[in-house]
Amino acid sequence: MTEELRDKVRTLGLDRLTEEHLAQFERGTTGMERHLQRLPRGMPAAQEPAHVYRAKGETP
Amino acid sequence: MSGELAYLGLAEAAELIRTKKLSPVEYVTALLARIERYDAKYNAFIALTPERALKAARAAEAEITAGRWRGPFHGVPYALKDIIDVEGLATTAHSKILKGNIARRHAVVTERLEAAGGVLLGKLSTHEFAIGGPSFDLPWPPARNPWNRDHFCGGSSSGSGAGLAAGFFPAALGTDTGGSIRNPASMCGITGMKATYGRVSRRGVAPLAFSLDHIGPMTRTVRDNALMLQVIAGHDPGDPGSADEPVPDYGALLGQDVRGLRIGVIRHFYTRDVAGDPEQVEALDAAVQLLAGAGAETSEITLPALQDFSACGQIILAAEAYAVHEPWLRKRPEDYGARARERLLAGATLRAVDYLQAVRWRLQLRDRVARDFADIDLAITASSMDPACRIDDDEALATNYWRQARMPFNVTGQPGLVVPAGFTKSGLPLSLQLVGHPFGEAMLYRVAQFYEDATSWTKRHPPGLLD
Repeated sequence: MTEELRDKVRTLGLDRLTEEHLAQFERGTTGMERHLQRLPRGMPAAQEPAHVYRAKGETP
Repeated sequence: MSGELAYLGLAEAAELIRTKKLSPVEYVTALLARIERYDAKYNAFIALTPERALKAARAAEAEITAGRWRGPFHGVPYALKDIIDVEGLATTAHSKILKGNIARRHAVVTERLEAAGGVLLGKLSTHEFAIGGPSFDLPWPPARNPWNRDHFCGGSSSGSGAGLAAGFFPAALGTDTGGSIRNPASMCGITGMKATYGRVSRRGVAPLAFSLDHIGPMTRTVRDNALMLQVIAGHDPGDPGSADEPVPDYGALLGQDVRGLRIGVIRHFYTRDVAGDPEQVEALDAAVQLLAGAGAETSEITLPALQDFSACGQIILAAEAYAVHEPWLRKRPEDYGARARERLLAGATLRAVDYLQAVRWRLQLRDRVARDFADIDLAITASSMDPACRIDDDEALATNYWRQARMPFNVTGQPGLVVPAGFTKSGLPLSLQLVGHPFGEAMLYRVAQFYEDATSWTKRHPPGLLD
């Protein structure tokens, strides 16, 4: 396990992860990279995200 | 106990109870005895609550005898995935993290089922926090598939699927963030509905990913599913995602044929984007032929690639789930099972901009699908690409999460209904998924009921459990 990886998880506040957990962290985050590569870039600036938030008072 | 009583449907049981031909107490007693006899093999339950169930059954029987029948759920046994709160009972999410976590009040869906007179039998196995499983490193063992206990029963609503297939109860609730109602429905040969996002309140249910979470009915038949959705559907001002839409009569279209209905076939999901198992593809093609032969107008439609929906949904799911679990992952990472820990940690390094791009992309995908659905009444596609793999096959289990066509409709929020569509040569269930317009659940029930009547899949039950 690289020192770089240990630094990364410490920065995230995940300093209780064991060596076994670090391997799981690495597999999990590497797997997520595959999905991130499909994210479209250059969406129109006005394209809003999906919301569920509603200001209080609008709901009955 | 006769297999006939074990596999009695909700609608049939309701009619027998209403006409006082079936005593809720006898029915519940018989199911409890069956669970005691068989569940050590299948692990559907985390906690069985026999005393509570018998008390509720006696109360229901007294009310019905006194002429105060509340409706089709009155005196009918049901069970809940153990991420759904029941006042006074532990909600464990199948995790050491929440062991002994006693709920102070009912979830809204529990309130509705209890108000309808349902009789809770207990809390059901799930994948840990509805994300990590099947796991052998948790305080409770994983549920097993009644069709073959060496095989996966799907998840995360695994106990719900296994218990229905085993004849332990006629109705259960599951939850679905990336397919967790429809996956066990596919693996266990039962019927599972992920209704439109916001159709069923999520209040009192442990969240996995706020904007993707759905609660829904799991039953053995379509009619039973419609009856259960009728009880739990409706607006809840306490759930920020709840939809303030009228609740239709979900049984209104049952019994109608499919002539003239326009059914889009999303074939590229299971032939081009992912190559489905040949037996599963054959079952889907046969179902399309059956519907076309009955007068439906079927035509292939093309949506964005399955991998786009998966990526969008998985990024949103990972970010939202990490937001929920970060405090525990920092303080008690050792208390998670390996599968849940790995999947939850996947969200740890996501950047805010990635999450936001995904939720922006989500609207594009939703709008694109809405355009593709404009000229059809509903669509048919795969749920799972494969029949249930072995529960000890780690490689096959890992691919189970992406060899599926369920996440697209968590991303768009449309309803998806999974029903049995046959069996493999080795006797494992196959399935299909019907997908509707938002709040179009009644149309899905109509077509699914027609298909169920035209086939005999729901009449088959796992061998070895028929007595």
